[in-house]
Amino acid sequence: MRSFSLIDFVSLFAALRWTVVLVVLALAFGAPLALGLAMGRISRFAGMRWTMAAIIQIIQSVPLLGLLFFFYFGMPVFLGIQVPAIIAVTIAYTLYTAAFLGEIWRGGLEAVKQAQWEAGSCLGLSLWQQFRHIIAPQALRLSLPPTVGFLVQLIKGTSLASILGFVELARAGQVVSAATFQPLLTYALVAAIYFALCLPLTLWSRSLEARLDGSR
Amino acid sequence: MALVEIRDVHKKFGRVDVLKGVSLDVEEGEIVTIIGRSGSGKSTLLRCINALESVDAGEIRVEGEKVHARMRDLKKFRQRVGIVFQAFNLFPHLKVERNITLAPLLTGRIDKAKARALAEDVLTRVGLADKIDAWPEQLSGGQQQRVAIARCLAMAPHLMLFDEVTSALDPELVGEVLKVMEAMAKQGMTMILVTHEMGFARNVADRIVFMHQGRVWEQGPPAKLFANPETPELASFIASAK
Repeated sequence: MRSFSLIDFVSLFAALRWTVVLVVLALAFGAPLALGLAMGRISRFAGMRWTMAAIIQIIQSVPLLGLLFFFYFGMPVFLGIQVPAIIAVTIAYTLYTAAFLGEIWRGGLEAVKQAQWEAGSCLGLSLWQQFRHIIAPQALRLSLPPTVGFLVQLIKGTSLASILGFVELARAGQVVSAATFQPLLTYALVAAIYFALCLPLTLWSRSLEARLDGSR
Repeated sequence: MALVEIRDVHKKFGRVDVLKGVSLDVEEGEIVTIIGRSGSGKSTLLRCINALESVDAGEIRVEGEKVHARMRDLKKFRQRVGIVFQAFNLFPHLKVERNITLAPLLTGRIDKAKARALAEDVLTRVGLADKIDAWPEQLSGGQQQRVAIARCLAMAPHLMLFDEVTSALDPELVGEVLKVMEAMAKQGMTMILVTHEMGFARNVADRIVFMHQGRVWEQGPPAKLFANPETPELASFIASAK
């Protein structure tokens, strides 16, 4: 046993790297997919709507832990493919992000009145122009608070990757705590780091909300 | 050739027959007002002219071109036929100027350098030049509706449709919108209006079309129609609208 030192402090911050990497990967792949799912959910084709709804329903119903296990342990068993842990984890977080963000954004898109699409189309705009210039900006503002809420969830959710061997923030906390026998101090520090990561996001979302809502 | 030719148009919503064989011609420069009770098919007819609804049978031609929801040049067509709605439908996230210039810019009608001047021009025509930098929600209902009209005018349409554009307004705001429309009528714009404003119909329209149960029941010049309705349905409608 040794006492809590600067090295422990540094190792927690070093582990933060994985937390950030996982969040960035999840967003980089998950957000475009979420947009696709959201647009599929409001498609005029019923088959498309149902398919997207089914995909979202399935992913949302499985615990994140289950997704991680499935892609890490399950893929080799069921599909005979051995994938590196980082890929398995990326797939799991991507799907998780896509399903939840997709549903949040779908809600935002549907909250914009149908008449806004109609007004755009009556001015001779294409469907894409209506979406891009009329619907999406309004939907974005409506979706912003829940989107950031989900982002905060995602940041904390990366702690689950520790069970697959990723030494991200939560796992590093375990290691440091075991080495120093100072769980209270260590976990308080871990919590503080998570808090410091999430707080600016929330503040940023508030200022963005105010900025997007220029009319008020 | 009439600017708008409507031939035996039928339209159903589910099992409800909304239009049961409507025929109507509108000449260039003509102001036609469609009146009738709720559910008589007035608004549906208007929406069919703009291909917002497709017809089940019969045909509609605007400037000789057959109108339907899947027409190849729908976007181009919509640029020639403006429509103003009861609920204004301004874009709340854009200032008045951008509300007006968005479509002309995106459709390539004008370039960026001319956008502001275009917005100023059409806003002047509706008497709101000083509101160019306002947000829609800072405007009264009547002002919002005039911006919606200006937004339409910015596309330089050949035909304008008005779907109960004063129905959502407080009574004291109706006049300013009607005045704008009257001025447009004087400048020779072809207009088809669905309205409950009998005074406007009487004073501005070249022709009144009374719709009843999905058909054109009676039509003619306002003076004749209001003074001597031929059918009991129109007589009772005029009596109840007073």
